[in-house]
Amino acid sequence: MRPATGVGAFPIVEAREITRVFPMPAGPVTAVHGVSLRINPAEYVAIWGPSGCGKSTLLHILGCVDIPSSGSLLFENRDVGALPDADRSDMRLRKIGFVFQRFFLLPMLTAWENVELPQAEARIARDERRSRTAELLAYVGLAHRAHHRPSQLSGGEMQRVAIARALANRPVLLLADEPTGELDRATGEQIAELFDRVQRDGTAVVIVTHDQAIASRAGRTLVMRDGRIEREGTAG
Amino acid sequence: MSPLAFALRGLVRQPGRAILGIAGIAATGALLFDMLMLSQGLVVSMEQLLASVGFDIRVTATQATPLTGPPIVGMADTVATLAALPAIEEVVPLRLGEAQVDIGGRSREVTFMGADAAVRRPWTLLEGRDIDQRQDTGQPRLLVNQNLARRLELAPGATVTLRGACTANSSVPPTVFRVDGIAEFPFDQASQLTAIATLRDFARACGDAPADGADQADLLMIASRPGDGPTAAVEAIRSVRPDLAAVTNEELVARFQQVEFSYFRQISFVLATITMFFGLLLITVLLSVSTNQRLGEIAALRALGFSRRRMASDVLWRSALLVGAGGAVALPLGLALATWLDALLQTMPGIPANLRFFVFAPRALIVYVALLAVTITVAAIYPMRTVARLPISSTLRTEVIG
Repeated sequence: MRPATGVGAFPIVEAREITRVFPMPAGPVTAVHGVSLRINPAEYVAIWGPSGCGKSTLLHILGCVDIPSSGSLLFENRDVGALPDADRSDMRLRKIGFVFQRFFLLPMLTAWENVELPQAEARIARDERRSRTAELLAYVGLAHRAHHRPSQLSGGEMQRVAIARALANRPVLLLADEPTGELDRATGEQIAELFDRVQRDGTAVVIVTHDQAIASRAGRTLVMRDGRIEREGTAG
Repeated sequence: MSPLAFALRGLVRQPGRAILGIAGIAATGALLFDMLMLSQGLVVSMEQLLASVGFDIRVTATQATPLTGPPIVGMADTVATLAALPAIEEVVPLRLGEAQVDIGGRSREVTFMGADAAVRRPWTLLEGRDIDQRQDTGQPRLLVNQNLARRLELAPGATVTLRGACTANSSVPPTVFRVDGIAEFPFDQASQLTAIATLRDFARACGDAPADGADQADLLMIASRPGDGPTAAVEAIRSVRPDLAAVTNEELVARFQQVEFSYFRQISFVLATITMFFGLLLITVLLSVSTNQRLGEIAALRALGFSRRRMASDVLWRSALLVGAGGAVALPLGLALATWLDALLQTMPGIPANLRFFVFAPRALIVYVALLAVTITVAAIYPMRTVARLPISSTLRTEVIG
């Protein structure tokens, strides 16, 4: 299969004929089938398709949280499959940001602490952490909610905090799995605008969505069906 | 945020569960700590009790316990021979028997002892003046313990009638004694009534004729000379009187440890093991439940780049916090429980009131801390394994579907 390519010559991620098979009691299920693609720096890619078509599995592989059953994944030219788990964790910590449909903010921490946490894990100095956390909360428009816990925030605010957390260690790639799935349309629109801004500021963004309106905002849309990229399109 | 602070915040998130865990460990830890104190407590207490008397060697006619075996005959010669040994500083002969003490129509059966002590005394004078075999004032004199003084309302200067029952079938006329003082006897049982006189007055009360009974002792209490020590003194005794049974305090404690005290050691080992097992189960269950409830959160943190080791260490820290806090609370609880249990056990017949079953010793604390460390680690193994093996991708998918 011809790789779905972007414009850059040096991709952040390159998937080569990746397949992911899950062993199930009723027999193996192929979630991703022979997918090849490249994500270039500062690119905005949407992966769109119906539920169960393999979008999230592909996103997890691109984000180095899962390993393909066959094929290879290169992240900044390093073969992810050959890396030990600790190195993959470190790569995710420093290079990749994740935004989840269910936010997964830690309920016992404030918005500030949730954003600061990945930086502490990356051993960023305290002063730098403080200024970066303040900067990020202002960036997502939640400076005034910094010391609120997730239970005191709305769904949209929680997702904003989750985006700030994902950007904490200045990743080169931001991955979002149905980031508007738990939000109403208006709030989802605001979150989508935030992703637009992140991409404009230089971070590559890959969004998995089944919402065509959200997908249409991306520079490139990959349409998936039955584990394969059925077609590729561009915005406009 | 440090791993410790992170774990602490995680625990505080479920305060009820955290309190349950800490309370459970406090209860089991208190029992564990008590069992550790019990395992060596009697030995330590017996050592302290023997040492407090001031004599480090005991000599009897045979290996049998005093009163259950024959007395040492030719006591005066024996005392003179042993006292002349360079390694020995003092020899105090003791006779043991029973008597009936009467005053004003009230009567009590008492443990009656006779002793000739010069410098050291195997009792502590609390009130009045001490008895002294070098002063023969004509009237027999007596020291009584506090129990007897209380029961018969005796004070120094009181006069009592004492009928000795020092040998089988003895039938002697009563002797009038003047109570010179009130003393504490270290090996008295909680409710024991005790009186002591000089050997001369003891023989008089028991009706011993000088030819047979007066020149005998049931026990010789010996103090070795500080420079020589008890082992050298016992060797010296065995060389001049191989027919006598001489034991140091150390040997006596070792004998108790092997026979009488071994039951307590075994009981404490079994109970400590069961207690630790329950504590371990409790923490394992709490950590496992907590981990299973947070699988989505853990998978998300792993996706964000938190390593397996980091997430496993979080579980270990939670275990450490629960067990550590519970273990700290358990110490004062255990000490209070030990005090209460000690008070109960000291009323058992045949147990010296000054003997403690639960004695705090640094060794018990060290073993306690080591066992808590084992509990922390072992209790965390299963949930740590769950966290380390968590499949990130499928867990995130399941959480979204769920």
